[in-house]
Amino acid sequence: MLSVLSFQLFRLQVTERQDLSEIARGNALRDIRVLPARGLVYDRNGTLMVQNMPTYTISLASRYFDRTRIPLLAKHLGVPESVVSLRLEEAQEHNPYRLYPSFANVSFEQYSRILEDSYWLPGVGWEIKHRRHYSTNARASHALGYIGEVNREELNAIDQQSDSSLYRQGDFLGRTGVERGYEPWLRGIPGVARRWVNVYGLEIMSYAQGQGDQPPRGNYDLHLTLDYRVQELAESLFVNKRGAVVALDPNDGGIIALVSKPDYPLEMFNEGIQSDAWQVLVNHDEQPLYNRATMNLMPPGSTWKPFMALLGLSEGLLGDEGGEATIFCPGYHPFGQGRFFRCLDVHGHKNVVQALQNSCNTFFFELAHRMDLDVFKTYANRFGFGVEAPTDLREQTAGFIPDSAYFNRTGRYWGKGAVMNLGVGQGDMGVTPFQLARYAAALANGGTLHAPHMVSHLVEPETNERIKLPAISDPSHLGIDTAYVNLVRRGMRLVMEAGTGRASQIPGIPSAGKTGTAQAPGNFTDHSVFIMFAPFDHPRIALAVQCENTGGGSLCAAPIASLLAEMYLKREIPPSWQTDIRMQRALSATSQSLVSTAE
Amino acid sequence: MRQWYRNLDFATLLIWAMLCACGLVAIYSATHGEAQEFLLNTVQNSFQRQILWLMISTVALAIILSMPMRLLIRMVPWIYLVTIGLLVLALLIGREVGGARSWIYLGPIGFQSAELAKVGVLLMAALVLASRRKENSIMNAAMIAAGVLALPALLIVLQNDLGTALVFVGLTPVLALCGGIPLRIVGLLILFPIAGYLAILSWQAALGFTVLVGIIAWYGTRSRVWMAAGVVASAMTFGIATFALQYVLQPHQVARIASFSNPEADEYRTNVGFHLVQSKAALGSGGWFGLGFRQGTQTQGRYIPEQSTDFVFSVIGEEWGFVGGILILLLFAALILRLLWLARAIDHPIGNLVVAGVAGIFLIHVCVNIGMVLGLLPVIGIPLPFLSYGGSALLTNTALMGIALACYMRRAEFALYW
Repeated sequence: MLSVLSFQLFRLQVTERQDLSEIARGNALRDIRVLPARGLVYDRNGTLMVQNMPTYTISLASRYFDRTRIPLLAKHLGVPESVVSLRLEEAQEHNPYRLYPSFANVSFEQYSRILEDSYWLPGVGWEIKHRRHYSTNARASHALGYIGEVNREELNAIDQQSDSSLYRQGDFLGRTGVERGYEPWLRGIPGVARRWVNVYGLEIMSYAQGQGDQPPRGNYDLHLTLDYRVQELAESLFVNKRGAVVALDPNDGGIIALVSKPDYPLEMFNEGIQSDAWQVLVNHDEQPLYNRATMNLMPPGSTWKPFMALLGLSEGLLGDEGGEATIFCPGYHPFGQGRFFRCLDVHGHKNVVQALQNSCNTFFFELAHRMDLDVFKTYANRFGFGVEAPTDLREQTAGFIPDSAYFNRTGRYWGKGAVMNLGVGQGDMGVTPFQLARYAAALANGGTLHAPHMVSHLVEPETNERIKLPAISDPSHLGIDTAYVNLVRRGMRLVMEAGTGRASQIPGIPSAGKTGTAQAPGNFTDHSVFIMFAPFDHPRIALAVQCENTGGGSLCAAPIASLLAEMYLKREIPPSWQTDIRMQRALSATSQSLVSTAE
Repeated sequence: MRQWYRNLDFATLLIWAMLCACGLVAIYSATHGEAQEFLLNTVQNSFQRQILWLMISTVALAIILSMPMRLLIRMVPWIYLVTIGLLVLALLIGREVGGARSWIYLGPIGFQSAELAKVGVLLMAALVLASRRKENSIMNAAMIAAGVLALPALLIVLQNDLGTALVFVGLTPVLALCGGIPLRIVGLLILFPIAGYLAILSWQAALGFTVLVGIIAWYGTRSRVWMAAGVVASAMTFGIATFALQYVLQPHQVARIASFSNPEADEYRTNVGFHLVQSKAALGSGGWFGLGFRQGTQTQGRYIPEQSTDFVFSVIGEEWGFVGGILILLLFAALILRLLWLARAIDHPIGNLVVAGVAGIFLIHVCVNIGMVLGLLPVIGIPLPFLSYGGSALLTNTALMGIALACYMRRAEFALYW
């Protein structure tokens, strides 16, 4: 009998060794993919905006769990004993010998208590995962973007490309904003650690002293051009409002704030969003997922007038006198017998600076009357309207600038009237707040269009290696005489000091701006639009603010822009009577509800 | 006067010590390491507890060796009665561990009544068989001895510890052979388990075996009655086993029994076959010389359930390889052969029976346990003597060996007092 045993022993250990040890290796030798920590995100002053927080999961291997310890585990987890029993049965059904994740998202205190008592809790394992954590009050939902679990089509696409270990089922990737735009840098390249694991899948030792292990690499922290305090203030000022803010650094195109309201907390997407929550976001009347800052098209209103002024000056539409030439405003433009083309006031003779200061419609109707529509389109494109801007933001709309071909095609009131409307930024045209901000920045810096960007540089967290990404594109120039630009700047300064923007001045800092009121179709209240830059002499911030259905430009958008610029330049908003007025105006403005007026 | 230990068989003691030492090393390896915290804390302490039990066993061994033979034999009926009492007590107040209600706790110390029962039952059965008067039939004594074995076996079955009960069934042919019962009857007894085993494996094997039994019975006895008895017994076992597998047993019981021959099958490998797949993988990964102390990936990864108790041989196979496994088998072979050699030197039937019975118990344990670890037998919870962790088993097996050594050492006393 013993020889039978010896024979079988020989058979297993010598003859069938290859196959059997293969099973043992397959059991115990595991290539564990080591994901690099997803890159952190800092704002322009080095404040941490996005970090990774560990979440703890407690797993059970029912076969090894001592059932007399159910009360102890229940006490540590703070759940009834029946819940532990239930989870044990689930784990039993799954595989009694392997760990099964039974309690997700336990607190650190619970996790550490279980860890301390692990001696008494055989068959209990744990897993630590990292989730995005947003550590400032600024949501910046559309700027930062959300992450989502990689789906099957994306996995297939990645497989076809090259590296199949880059993403696996259950991994997250950036879906919008910088999380998407900088996904390869944030994610890095997963490493491999070859480990002996035990029956519960826990590592017990490294294979061959870690030779052949590949550490994860290539993950970078992002340093944004965003200023979280400006962002935070902007979001808080948009209470009860829909709209968008884009603030740029006119010197390099860095995005200081990018707000689209309403928004949503990015935390919703941390664990993979629940489908009912997703349905709410998608079907909401106010479309919180929609990035208004870069995609919402509306007419620019009177903020278009500086553009028209530059067009007129460059094209010589004002005659030889240029900046000194005046146009007479009787309170309306005579075209159409003064019925359709009204001005806000009877302005009398105005030159271009005065026309800007008082936002005289008649002046700009006349300019549009004199211009060629196709030249208009060429200029608009040169100013960044009607075309997509070079940027690291993935989502944007080109906007719409009509030309003669458009009017020919549609066949609608193709006549001077439609074209003249364009002169005051109304009618058949659409621009985004993003484009308006870029235009404001170009006016601020004397005529240079930079590529707006979110990221200033990348830093490798281990080595502190600093990477400055190459510019997205070379800055382009408006091609306008600096003297003309300065005229327009002077007009915009007067807007703030003695014009429609009077109430929105920044105490102690000279600035320039232009209010705008974009007509909303139907019965809706007009949109409030405002562009601005400050300080006047050496501008450091240029903004475009758009408040939907809140009334005229000086009412809502101007005070918001002014407060944001002040926050950026002074790093605080000192209390003053000007502050009170601006705050009061900004906060009391309310977007007209889309639902109530829809009928 | 000759020193009392002059007749002590030191060779057996040496083998015993070597086996116990191997057991301790394997238990240490199986219960220490990185995944230690995953074990029940009673299992984590196995090594220390086994050392403690080894000391207790050594004391028991010394006591047994120092007892006069006459006293020992006088005590046998009382030991047997206490044994039965303990088994009943375990049924009434025992604690259930691993599904079997066989543990009795005296304060912090628990022992397994079914293990301890082996000593009393073997001694009592040997006494009954040996103290038969010349005029009485051998079959009468055999019947009584069978009753002596069957009563505790029944109690242990009631405790739901089928494996240990099977040891008593296995003991029957061993004692019968040594007790002077004709070979043909013993042969008939051995036939049942073999036929049952083959019935589980394959019907062709069972059929072939039945034919073989008929042929052997004919040439062995030249009696049609015996030939018929053999064939009928074999065929009946085959039939009953097949019927039981098909209709009587629950599906999970059938799976447990049937899975040993192909534990890798998809329907078994994650549940009832898991044990054997992992055990075989451990042995295979050991190879010729093993992976080394505390280097076995299966052992250190705790892939084999019960690896410090019933499956301790897989630890040895993985970490010490074929060489280590053969060493253990050789040690057991030496122990059993040495005991049988000792039995021959004793002139009194009770001595022969006891020593041969001890050898038989060890043989059954070794064959069933290692057969199970190697995947030759279904998984039955029987420990490997001296190697598996388990205080009661260590104490029982040491006591059995001690009694055998005492019988040999004091073989002259049988004649004096009897």
